[in-house]
Amino acid sequence: MAEIGHGRKEIVERIMEPAAAREKIKGLARIPIRSQLANEVVGISYGFFSPLEGFMGSADVDSVCKNMTLKNGTVWSIPIVFDLDQAEIFSYGIDKGDTVVLTYGGNPMALFEIEEIFEYDKKAMATSVYGTDDPKHPGCARTYAYKEKFLGGKITLVSRPKINEPYTKYFIPPLEMRKVFKEKGWKRIVAHQTRNVPHTGHEWLMKGAWFQTYGELPIDKPLVGVLVNAIIGEKRKGDYIDEAIILTQDENRKSGYFGDHNHLTSLTFWDMRYAGPKEAIFHAILRTNLGLTHHMFGRDHAGVGTYYGPYDAHILLESVKDKLDITPVYSMNWLYCPHCGEITSEGLCNHKKEWQKFSGTVVRSIVLDGVKPPRLIYRPEVFDVMMESGEKYGFGSPFVTDNYLEKRIPVFEIPPIE
Amino acid sequence: MSEEKFPINIWINEERYEKLRKAGLGDLCEEMLAGLKVLRVYADAVERDKILKVFPTAKFDSATTKSIELLPKAVKDKIFDKIVEKESVDIIADFLSTY
Repeated sequence: MAEIGHGRKEIVERIMEPAAAREKIKGLARIPIRSQLANEVVGISYGFFSPLEGFMGSADVDSVCKNMTLKNGTVWSIPIVFDLDQAEIFSYGIDKGDTVVLTYGGNPMALFEIEEIFEYDKKAMATSVYGTDDPKHPGCARTYAYKEKFLGGKITLVSRPKINEPYTKYFIPPLEMRKVFKEKGWKRIVAHQTRNVPHTGHEWLMKGAWFQTYGELPIDKPLVGVLVNAIIGEKRKGDYIDEAIILTQDENRKSGYFGDHNHLTSLTFWDMRYAGPKEAIFHAILRTNLGLTHHMFGRDHAGVGTYYGPYDAHILLESVKDKLDITPVYSMNWLYCPHCGEITSEGLCNHKKEWQKFSGTVVRSIVLDGVKPPRLIYRPEVFDVMMESGEKYGFGSPFVTDNYLEKRIPVFEIPPIE
Repeated sequence: MSEEKFPINIWINEERYEKLRKAGLGDLCEEMLAGLKVLRVYADAVERDKILKVFPTAKFDSATTKSIELLPKAVKDKIFDKIVEKESVDIIADFLSTY
């Protein structure tokens, strides 16, 4: 049976078998790509970005920027573009209609059928996606760093990525993910978007969303799951290291705060744009393709600084929810109330003067001070796995350092075509 | 209207608590977040902005707690030592005068 993804299109993996790939790449120009583009090649090939079949052409980019849709009217919020300098285009000798091989780490990764070479006003692109042209916004900075030309066309993976440990079991592409959900018997699955080691505020975001998603379903057997889908991509100094994020998220299940019957951890390769509301739409699309039915959105989803209002993402989602095949679940903040002696929701507790709010930033600050937070704030098993990850993968720190950026084990590599 | 103040949370581990106790300053601690001990040192808006400029890893948590977070531990240790030396949490102007 066909698996239907975002835009009501069948999800089709664009992956060539090795024997055919070996023949197909012979004699083609080879273009090395950076990690952002490699992540996006994976996203396109495995159907995370369905219905995209490749990097966008000018009509799609223009429509995304002006209408928040692809040219065919399907909702899409962030341009997925492939950039090159004119000088590179010249030196590779490539033109519209050519097929080239994209390489990553020196090995062939994908075929790129170049259908169009074009320019686009980067300031207009930044303003439409991020709502600002401020070069200090990390998404704008990324846009301004694009080279002068964009190439649009279809992508076909010719060598499957080798996912390195400890990430291997967490890479579950859309078609495989949908099988997993069927095996678990889940009728509804709610996505938890994360780039964090979970404190109990996050844990209760998930638990609250699980309750909201369960709704009217019968409770005699588990029918609802939470999918933690960690975004793994470009890191900044001071972030949690990727290994700590993925292993601690799973630790919540392993230590019994959730269970196999209602919790699964996975990852998606994507360099965060911090586009706030537009990124929220993009996350909804990603998780639709992964087979989820619901998606939680909290305060300032995927925002940065003070560029977006706390509930701008909710407002934008409401405006297009009839065109999305995933139900938004809006989450209130969770906090510690000393009067209640527990983590509670700001929508429930009325001891407002006693509330002690905490954020991921505050918790990171506690850890940086060499203090182990209380178990009501940070599960001890999660804390221990975070610190172990720092020792094992982070050169002594659970936070990204220059050393980590330079020497970390890559999340994936592209093996040679045998 | 009183000027808005922004706390720097100095989280108290055993080593820091022992120093405070020996100096007879244990009472300066508040309890937050299910029993965590913390010293809260307050900066005004000008001092906050200077801290964020001098220590680029620091972050102002504008959304949730309105506090200055993610100062390096070595910097927090210096602030902590200043508190013990002055026997007061009102030390941020003095601390910043060296930067």
